[in-house]
Amino acid sequence: MAEEDHFLYALSSNNAWAGYKAHQNPQFFPKLASGQSPKILWLGCSDSRCPETTILGLQPGDVFVHRNIANIISPTDINTSAVIEYAVAHLKVKHVVLVGHTACGGAAASLSDNRVGGVLDTWLTPLKAVRYANLEELNAIKDDKARATRIAELNVEAGVKVLMANMTIQDAIQERGLEVHGCLFDIGCGKIKDLGFGTKGRHGFGINGTDEIVRGKHAQLVFRGGNASMAVRP
Amino acid sequence: MAEKDISRYLRQSHDRVFEHNKAWAAEKKASDPDFFTNLSAGQSPEYLWIGCSDSRIPAEQITGLEPGDAFVHRNIANLVCNTDLNAMSVITYAVQHLKVKHIVVCGHYGCGGVKAAMTAKDLGILNPWLRNIRDVYRLHEKELDAIEDEEARYNRLVELNVIEQCRNVVKTAGVQQSYAQNSFPIVHGWVFGFNDGLLKDLKVDFEGMLKDIQKIYNLTE
Repeated sequence: MAEEDHFLYALSSNNAWAGYKAHQNPQFFPKLASGQSPKILWLGCSDSRCPETTILGLQPGDVFVHRNIANIISPTDINTSAVIEYAVAHLKVKHVVLVGHTACGGAAASLSDNRVGGVLDTWLTPLKAVRYANLEELNAIKDDKARATRIAELNVEAGVKVLMANMTIQDAIQERGLEVHGCLFDIGCGKIKDLGFGTKGRHGFGINGTDEIVRGKHAQLVFRGGNASMAVRP
Repeated sequence: MAEKDISRYLRQSHDRVFEHNKAWAAEKKASDPDFFTNLSAGQSPEYLWIGCSDSRIPAEQITGLEPGDAFVHRNIANLVCNTDLNAMSVITYAVQHLKVKHIVVCGHYGCGGVKAAMTAKDLGILNPWLRNIRDVYRLHEKELDAIEDEEARYNRLVELNVIEQCRNVVKTAGVQQSYAQNSFPIVHGWVFGFNDGLLKDLKVDFEGMLKDIQKIYNLTE
């Protein structure tokens, strides 16, 4: 049976992986068993092409993960809220990263006027709202792929706003400098782009930016050419 | 740490991710120049993975699956709740649109969520979510209470929770209707162990479970 093959493949592949990891580093699994202290909470899409730990080039133990349809952050969704609460208040991650991606099925669905069916239409409502709020801009984009990418970015922007309004996240930003980021994963080239939303603000940050800004409570810390300087914000 | 040092540390741990991502993308492209072009064309994953958010269980790495192989939902303690539109949307999309062949509910020993649910403590917004695990305990109270060793009881609750969540997956209209029509997806319950990195198949009897459930939860019509 072809179906059984896929199933057995995953299990046997796990066996090989565990053997390889333990051979490479005998302390690998005992260390994992002792607990987790991830630095990053990844909020991303369920899409099979976005395996967070793999695309980040990181290891088990590095990234706490929630993945749902179209990486939608709804303020009253108890599932996402529980993940955020556990990761931020209990595990005390340093970064919350909301990651959208190109060629997202959820984005395409929300750009269409057709019903998706079942509970999905209800789930995609926040993304539909993003579409209607940016109708003019989105309609002006003629290329379907480019339009889907743009709504994915707008979705991240909206999601980051919801994250910034979350009380647990607000407390952690104030108390210990938690950082919130909004990113886009480009499936076409495998790279992640920092969109600059969240605790950073839009300007001067990111892999392409020249100045790197970290905002403190009352001031901006600007890294430039190896030096740091403080600039007080109004 | 001074504020300056904290900021620098945060920048470094943030930048590290982008450096690794660049290296990963370059490596993938070098080994297969069409890798990302093919990925962009669409997804047709064989699996839906419902797992825990725990950072130690990246679904793809522990199963050796490549990008494109598994559709993934991860939440606290791998729960599948009837009224949670988040997980229900994932299942609906995976089954009805992507037509996955296998749904894996994967728990893990040493689960912080399961442990928290065994604790007599008010955990705020986590309460309604973790309540579902307390319900699993109540369903299997006799068996669990009979286990004297606390660690063993906790491990057993992890397993029973996985089986209960498999049952919740089977209760959905999408799974029942697809199985009646296509003979898939099949639902599996696995548990990951940190001590050896191995997945344990709990050997959930999918057909038996489905038959049982349909006495009351039949949604195929």
